[in-house]
Parts: sequence; C-alpha cells; structure tokens
Amino acid sequence: MAQSTLGIAKRSQIPFKLVTVSGIIFLIMAAFPLFFGSFQISLMSKLLLFGALAVSLDLVWGFTGILSFAHGVFFTLGGYAMAYYLKLNLAADGNTYGIDLPDFMVWNGLEKLPWFIAPLKYFPIAAVAMVAIPAIFAYLVGTFIFRSKVSGVYITIITLAISSALTTFFISQQAYTGGTNGITDVSRLSIAGVDVPLNGLYWMILLFTGCVLAGSYWLTKSNLGLILRSIKENENRISYLGYDVASFKIFIWTLSAGIAGIAGGLFVPLNRFISPVYLAVAFGTQVVIWVAIGGRGTLIGPIIAAMLLGQVQNYAERVTQDWQLVVGILLLVVVVFIPDGLVGTIAKLFKPKQKVAR
Amino acid sequence: MNSVLSVKNLQVVFSGFKALKGIDLEVGDREIVTIIGPNGAGKSTLLDAIVSKSPVAEGKVYYQGKDITNKTPYDIARMGIGRKFQNPNVYNELTVFENILLALKGTHGIFASMTAKLTPQKKNKIIHVLEQIGLLNYASTPVALLSHGQKQWVEIGMVIAQDPKVVLLDEPTAGMTPEETYATGEIIQSLVHNHSVVAIEHDMEFVKQIAERIVVLHQGEKLAEGSVEEIQNNNKVIEVYLGREKIDVDAAA
Repeated sequence: MAQSTLGIAKRSQIPFKLVTVSGIIFLIMAAFPLFFGSFQISLMSKLLLFGALAVSLDLVWGFTGILSFAHGVFFTLGGYAMAYYLKLNLAADGNTYGIDLPDFMVWNGLEKLPWFIAPLKYFPIAAVAMVAIPAIFAYLVGTFIFRSKVSGVYITIITLAISSALTTFFISQQAYTGGTNGITDVSRLSIAGVDVPLNGLYWMILLFTGCVLAGSYWLTKSNLGLILRSIKENENRISYLGYDVASFKIFIWTLSAGIAGIAGGLFVPLNRFISPVYLAVAFGTQVVIWVAIGGRGTLIGPIIAAMLLGQVQNYAERVTQDWQLVVGILLLVVVVFIPDGLVGTIAKLFKPKQKVAR
Repeated sequence: MNSVLSVKNLQVVFSGFKALKGIDLEVGDREIVTIIGPNGAGKSTLLDAIVSKSPVAEGKVYYQGKDITNKTPYDIARMGIGRKFQNPNVYNELTVFENILLALKGTHGIFASMTAKLTPQKKNKIIHVLEQIGLLNYASTPVALLSHGQKQWVEIGMVIAQDPKVVLLDEPTAGMTPEETYATGEIIQSLVHNHSVVAIEHDMEFVKQIAERIVVLHQGEKLAEGSVEEIQNNNKVIEVYLGREKIDVDAAA
C-alpha cells in the first residue's frame, strides 16, 4: 500500500516512454544514409563509434569515478587487431609487393609473417582479438592498479603513462606495427567473402552503438550501477557492507576496455588506417572531453557531445586551423560553469523538486 | 560465557605509537557492551581493528570461534559483523531506500548484483528497516537532504539491513537532539533481540539507558569493566574519566 507512494515500485517496470523515444531516434538514425552522401555517412559512422568509446569511458569515470586517459589505447588496440586482419587479406595484386607479407614488413626487412600476427588473417580470430586484447590488457593493468589500492589521481597518472609508453612502443616496433605511419592502405571489410558496403557498415555501427548504450543503461540501472555509484562516492564504506570493491572496479574497467576495443575495430574499415596517433594522450584527452562536456554519468551526453563536436569540427576546420583552441576553451567553460555537462545540467533543470526533510 | 566476538590481547600500532596496548573483550550472544573513555582512549581504534580498518599488530580477534584477525573488511562484513562509523558514513547521492538496499544481505557478487531483482521479500525487509529507523516517509529522498540525526539513523538502518550477528556502533547519537538520542536508544534496545551490540558512547545519560555492561578504555588500556553501578563507583574511573563529568551525571540524574 505505502509502496507505490515511496517511489519504490517504479524500479522494476519497463520505462515505456524511454523505449519509445529511443526507438524513434534509432529509426531516424537508421534512415540517415538515405538522405546524405557518402562523406556524411562515413563521418557519422566514425562519430557513432566515438560516441560508443565515450560511453565506455562514462561507465568508468562518470559512474565509478576512475578518470582514465587510456581509453584511446583500448580503442586503438582493437583497431590494430582489425587493421592486421584487413591488411593480411588484401588481394595479392592489391599488395604493393604481391606477396603475403604486408608492405611495411617488407620495407623493414622481415621475411616471414611473425607468428603472433599470422592468426589475425582469419576473421573469427581477428574479431575475438579485437575485444580480447584490449580487455586482457585492461584486466592485467586493472588488477595491478586496483588490488594494490592505488587510488584517485594516481590512477589517472598511470593511465597517462600507459598511453605514452604504448605510443613510444608502437612507434619503435616499426617492423611489426608500421611505426609512426601505422597500418595503412588496408582492404575493405568483407565478411564471409561479401564486401560490406558503406551503408551496411553504418548500420552495423549504429546497431553496435545502440547496443552499447542500451546495455550500459541496463547495467547502470541494476544493483551493479548502485554499487558503482557508491564506489565513486565512498569506496571504503561499501567494503564494510561486504563488497569487494577491487573486483567491481576491475570488472567495469575490463568491460569498458572491451567496448572501446570493438569501437576501435569497427573504426578501421572506415578510417582505412590506424596509427599511434590514436594511442597518444591527445586522443585519450579527446575522449575525456566528450564525456566532460556531454555530462558524466548520463551515458547519452557523451554520445551527443562526441557527435556535435565532430560535426562542428568538420566545418570549423575549413575556416580555422585553431579548432583545438576552441575545444580547449569550451572545456574550460564547461568545467568551471556547468560541471554536470550539457545533459547533466539540462536533466537537473527538468527534475521535479525533491522532498526536503523537515 | 559463550562469546560471539572475542578479542584477545589486541594491539594496534600507528607508526610507533601504541594506540591499543593489549585489549581483551568478550561479547556474548545478544548482549549490549558499551565502551566509554576519554578522547584518544582507543575506542574507535578498537572497532577499526575488529573490522580490519586498522591493521592488528598483535593479538587475535575471534568471531564465533573463528580467527578473523586482519581478514579483508568485506570478508568480515559478510561473515556477520556490521559497523556504523562515527560521522554518518552514508551515500548522500543515493536515496534512503537505495542506501538500505545496498546494505541488504546477500548480493555481493558482480553478476549476482547485475541480475538481482527487487523481490517482495527484499522490499518488505527494507520497509521493515525503514519503519524501525522511522524514515519510511523519506524512502525516495536523497540522503543529502536529511538532517544530521536522520543520517545517523540511515547508517544504523544500513547496519540492521546487513543483518549481522554483531553490530558495532561508533557514537550512534553524536550530534542528535535529546529526543533523537532517546529514540536511538530504543532502536538499539530493539536490536538486542537478534543481535549482539558493541556501542561507543559519550553521553552518560544514553549509556545508562542502554547499557548492560560497560568497558572503560583509557590510553589504549582497559581501565575497568562492569555494570553502570560498578563503573560509577569505581575509583580509578572517577579519577581519570568520570571525575570531571560526575557533576553532569548527577545533575542529569
């Protein structure tokens, strides 16, 4: 009897309004390729992937309170897995040297394909690697960080170090990674022998980003979401309620890296190359900016921010080369004046007034 | 006596400073033990050492006969020891309901928490706890909006929701009005039907309301132990501790 007035009963019901609105937006997004040219479709696909990447960071930063500059790294690790697959499946006549060995390996004097790259020629292996490599890497790093009770700003510093270290490492291993140029001139994506057209790729990516968003929403509304928010507010208290905080952090960290990896994998067929640029701190910072401007802990905010900034950047770069300066100023304005981000602030304005005690 | 919680020769050292110098404590089934002592006596440190918040340098903590010394805090919590901290340690960004839900016994695993459903039993249990702490009408209110005393009750509610065998309360009435303090005393007395309680307190009036057995700590050592009567008439206690408050006690009594 009293339960419905407590706002308790709402929890388990399906939010019909939300499902309807997101369904309509999804359909509009799905119709997008019918009205725009290939440049816009390709741009929009990339922005959707950046959106998914931003959501993956939001799970870790917005909900759990772990600020990471390494999400560009997880994205790029997935990207390399896919890039090797596409490079190794170039038709022999499309390959500069007409043999199985990618061009950059030939230039660097390799005579045969290294054993750890060879299996990526097969799609199932590459598809698994795209998720597994970033996820396993994140799991190892996460176990080290979170079990050793490193916390707060030190975690962030470690993620910066990871980003810098891997950038240097990938550049130095030119024979295996293509060095500064990365892996270029990759083949188009084909699944089971069928070429995937741009529209198909766009829909795949839309579906992926939709699933990431819906899955993250479901996850954060479950008890797990409650636990993550508690860890963010006060991680010590919750361990005295019987929760192993480190294992929750490692889980969400690894999951988020896996999502970022898939986004990176899908990015390569569009971008047609991957390089250490995406490993670098600058790209990791970009992801942080999307989440900060869109609104931490809102899930949809970071996607909107990634898309808006991407679209504006597309036009702004034709006018000025100092676009990054504009983004920098925008970030400062958001951090100082609207710390909840765009969506967070709007949501607060529309939220009904809470009952105040006494 | 059949002890639920048993502390033997417990020592805690903070970078050379001995905060606890060998404390023995026995807590029986469904018994209230009240710990008093001046500031810096080691009261909170004793509770911290029991739940592994502070590392035990020497000595042992047994719970139901099992050695739990320096086990992880979450293991100790899962075994059945609940802790309320000195300043209300609650989740301000969550609602009262969510705070209690979080503390509820049972779903501590990652995958279990993902798929956990709010069953009628759980809901009823939470409502029952909310009734006990008198906050049923505030279920969907964010804790940040509550008064200090109400936050204290939320945390007591969290400990009750954990359904521990042993409840450790660190100054449950700090910052409360006399009426709130009295209501808290009733909550604690109702707890004893199902739980053993160890409470740290300063308010002598409150101690008299709830106490069965009192332990007095002083400079990391146990100074005295006994009933309210015995403690009030203990010369050592009067000397170091009650002396300056005796007037208050008498005036209040």
